[in-house]
Amino acid sequence: MTGIQSLKIGVSGVRGIVGQSLTPQLVVGFAEAFGTYLDGGLVVIGRDPRPSGEMILNALTGGLLSTGCSVIDVGVCPTPTMQHAVVDLAADGGIAITASHHPAGWNALKFCREDGVFLNEYQGEELLSVYHQGAFVQREYDALGRVGHDEGAVNRHLTKVLMSVDRDAIAAMAPKVVIDSVNGAGADFAEGLLQKMGCEVVAINDVPTGRFPRDPEPIPENLGQLCEAVREHDADIGFGQDADGDRLSVVSAEGVAIGEEFTLAFAADVMAERRDGKLVTNLSTSRMIDEVGERHGCEVVRSKVGEVNVVETMIAEDAIGGGEGNGGVIDPKLHYCRDNLAAMALILEGMARRGVAVTEWAESFRPSAIVKDRVPCGAGHTQRAILALQRHYADEQLDLTEGVKVFFEGGAWVHARPSNTEPIIRVIAEADDHATARRICDEAMQVVNGAIG
Amino acid sequence: MSTLSTDVSRPLKITIAGVRGVVGETLTPELLVNFSQAFGTYIGPGRVLVSRDTRPSGVMVAPCVFSGLTASGCEVVDLGVCPTAALQVAVKDSDAVGGVAITAGHNDARWNALKFSREDGIYLNPQQAAELLNVYHQKEFAKARWDELRPVGRDDSAGERHLEAVRVQVDVDAIRAAQLKIAIDCTNGACSEFTPRLLEGLGCEVVAINDDPELSFPHEPRPTPPNLSQLRALVRAAGADAGFAHDADGDRLGVVTEDGEAPGEEYTLCLAAEMVLGRGDPGPVVTNLSTTMAVDDVARKYGREVVRTGIGQVFIAEAAFNYSAAIAGEGSGGIVFPAINYAHDSISALAHIVNLMAERGGPISGLIAEIPRYYIIKREVVCPPQRAYSVLEDLRRDIDAPWAEEINLDDGVKLIGADRWVHIRVSLTEPRIRVITEADAKGLAMDLADEYERKVERLL
Repeated sequence: MTGIQSLKIGVSGVRGIVGQSLTPQLVVGFAEAFGTYLDGGLVVIGRDPRPSGEMILNALTGGLLSTGCSVIDVGVCPTPTMQHAVVDLAADGGIAITASHHPAGWNALKFCREDGVFLNEYQGEELLSVYHQGAFVQREYDALGRVGHDEGAVNRHLTKVLMSVDRDAIAAMAPKVVIDSVNGAGADFAEGLLQKMGCEVVAINDVPTGRFPRDPEPIPENLGQLCEAVREHDADIGFGQDADGDRLSVVSAEGVAIGEEFTLAFAADVMAERRDGKLVTNLSTSRMIDEVGERHGCEVVRSKVGEVNVVETMIAEDAIGGGEGNGGVIDPKLHYCRDNLAAMALILEGMARRGVAVTEWAESFRPSAIVKDRVPCGAGHTQRAILALQRHYADEQLDLTEGVKVFFEGGAWVHARPSNTEPIIRVIAEADDHATARRICDEAMQVVNGAIG
Repeated sequence: MSTLSTDVSRPLKITIAGVRGVVGETLTPELLVNFSQAFGTYIGPGRVLVSRDTRPSGVMVAPCVFSGLTASGCEVVDLGVCPTAALQVAVKDSDAVGGVAITAGHNDARWNALKFSREDGIYLNPQQAAELLNVYHQKEFAKARWDELRPVGRDDSAGERHLEAVRVQVDVDAIRAAQLKIAIDCTNGACSEFTPRLLEGLGCEVVAINDDPELSFPHEPRPTPPNLSQLRALVRAAGADAGFAHDADGDRLGVVTEDGEAPGEEYTLCLAAEMVLGRGDPGPVVTNLSTTMAVDDVARKYGREVVRTGIGQVFIAEAAFNYSAAIAGEGSGGIVFPAINYAHDSISALAHIVNLMAERGGPISGLIAEIPRYYIIKREVVCPPQRAYSVLEDLRRDIDAPWAEEINLDDGVKLIGADRWVHIRVSLTEPRIRVITEADAKGLAMDLADEYERKVERLL
């Protein structure tokens, strides 16, 4: 892939390959744009342990200081820790330096506003306008920002998670947990949290070097080593993290990666049991959350795909829980961010209070299979594809909030939508069994291909 | 927020001496990142040491420099706040491939700059600087792969190691025995932490002002007489044996006598040369064309040659190296001690002058009185940059000075007589032509300055 093609500048931030497209010049420009956009104030910066993180931190720091913003560096930490720190320190914004589940050669900037939530689509557009306009605020020598360090951010985050969970129940169960942190940002802290909750912990890939021993996306095909370790250590559960601690996947005691959709289903089951109110997730997430809603009498509200869309809907609906089917769990009692530490606490509490094993809990849900696929589609063709899908499924029940979501008799569904970050249409289908989900997905993909062919 | 200016005097100088500008106007983070990545491309990959002086914008400039160097594949070692001379010692004595000093020297706090040195701790010479500028302008920088990026290291010991290198060059016992009382003005700059420590270690009683690196510059950080009034008052009030003033990054040294007089920074080189030549360090004295001829008298006293260079720190440093000089320096108060480093080094200068005081005894005003007194007049004529060199060319063709025994054209025009000289040159840093004269009588120096200032104005 060439440098030009690898760069993605969008409303959700900037992403590129270090040594090619993600240059210090680009980072400095975005830092100045963000400082100009905030018009001064305090900015919290956290990063995952990718080797390029420090170079990017320095470029951001220089750019922000020149606009009069001060910087608090919270060091290598999970992205949700940075988001917590923005609120704790009453900062005016935050930046996460992480390319999340992308390979180690990538890095990215994600911009966060004063409430510790990422910029929404409109705010992202505003920041891009400032960047493209290029007329940045430049402060004189005596009005530049200052740099501070906050070593306590992770501990505050851990403490909040510990306070939110039924530690006695977990300690009484004393589960044996294997955690695979992919040598990412959550590596040392997740282990500490689990121990403080009374777990016996086996940690693998737990040195935050940023050199990933596997693809950091926590989906079953990347979790072979974790599954093996769970079996080898005769553990009760395995947790697989991404590089920046905002997506989590669960492995059963039998050493089976049950799929990242279960992470939110389990966590929501516990959040809904704790409090009355609404649950929020996106249109592409498993129907298991609807079952959770039925169990606890909670309304489930669906938002467009994207963390910030889920979060803003949660805020608007005053939701008691939320998240995404990719393994991102949001516990609003803690903060409006996807947070693996919170997710692990919720899931362990759920197991302890129910006295169930992972497999048993998973089987309490109606059998389900999800197929996630994609069709290459240039930006110019997406509208044609969406219209073709609408015509094709005209007789079914449709949700047109984002792309096309089709609900079939018997609970199966398919959702097709243009990606925010890549020139593709994503197609996700769910049904009682894999063959049916695959067939439903293929049908929608054929319609898309036929329309853009 | 400052607005962009199309004014020709927009304060940015990209010259052989590095890149210098005003923060908030021209010295932007983009420029800093680009220059640092250009330097990393030019000199790397390898270890590059970075120091800064105490000006507040250093905190913004440093991370920009780190990111540009790191992105190019260099391993940055951050020396923190220390004198530029300490950086240059550290570069020379390590396997580093180069150094970057973040300092605008004697310029006021609005300014900052990057000064680049090569693996021997000497600044880039004009050819090397031109090569760096070509890399900068071409903008095709080295970009290290993600797994080749190196973490930024930290070394807080460079300042102390520099002091150690200075201590072994002076007669510690003699200085201790003299029990001198020394007043210093560190202008809250990079020497604030180090000079008091050095002097106390040498058994001096230290009276320091402006020695807090967290505070802003109390006056323009240039150790010339107009900026020394605080120090002069301090010397008198404290009854000190001498007073010394640093600039912001430990390049230049100004001297105040025990009676509170500031004889001028031209004397710094003469006093230091007295010490170094007097103790028998071999080699000639190197100085530039605009420095006082009192240097010639001191050298003559010890049977040494004087080598004159063009104006610019790197010319002094390279000549000091090439001629194996005993000492080198400029009338601005910047002195090079080749035994320590090839850098302008005000801490070394201070230590050597204190050593001279200890060795010779008597007051410092007496030492100065032994140096022949000349009168230097410095004038400047504003000149559009595009006219500067043609004016000098015209002047060259029109030389009419029967008193001149020698004409030197190395850097502009210098006419040298037995009792006077005049030097007319183009400033590297400002759109000006400088006219400097010196004579053994004030009237003569003034007349000469008037004559050549008028001549330049006429040619314009």
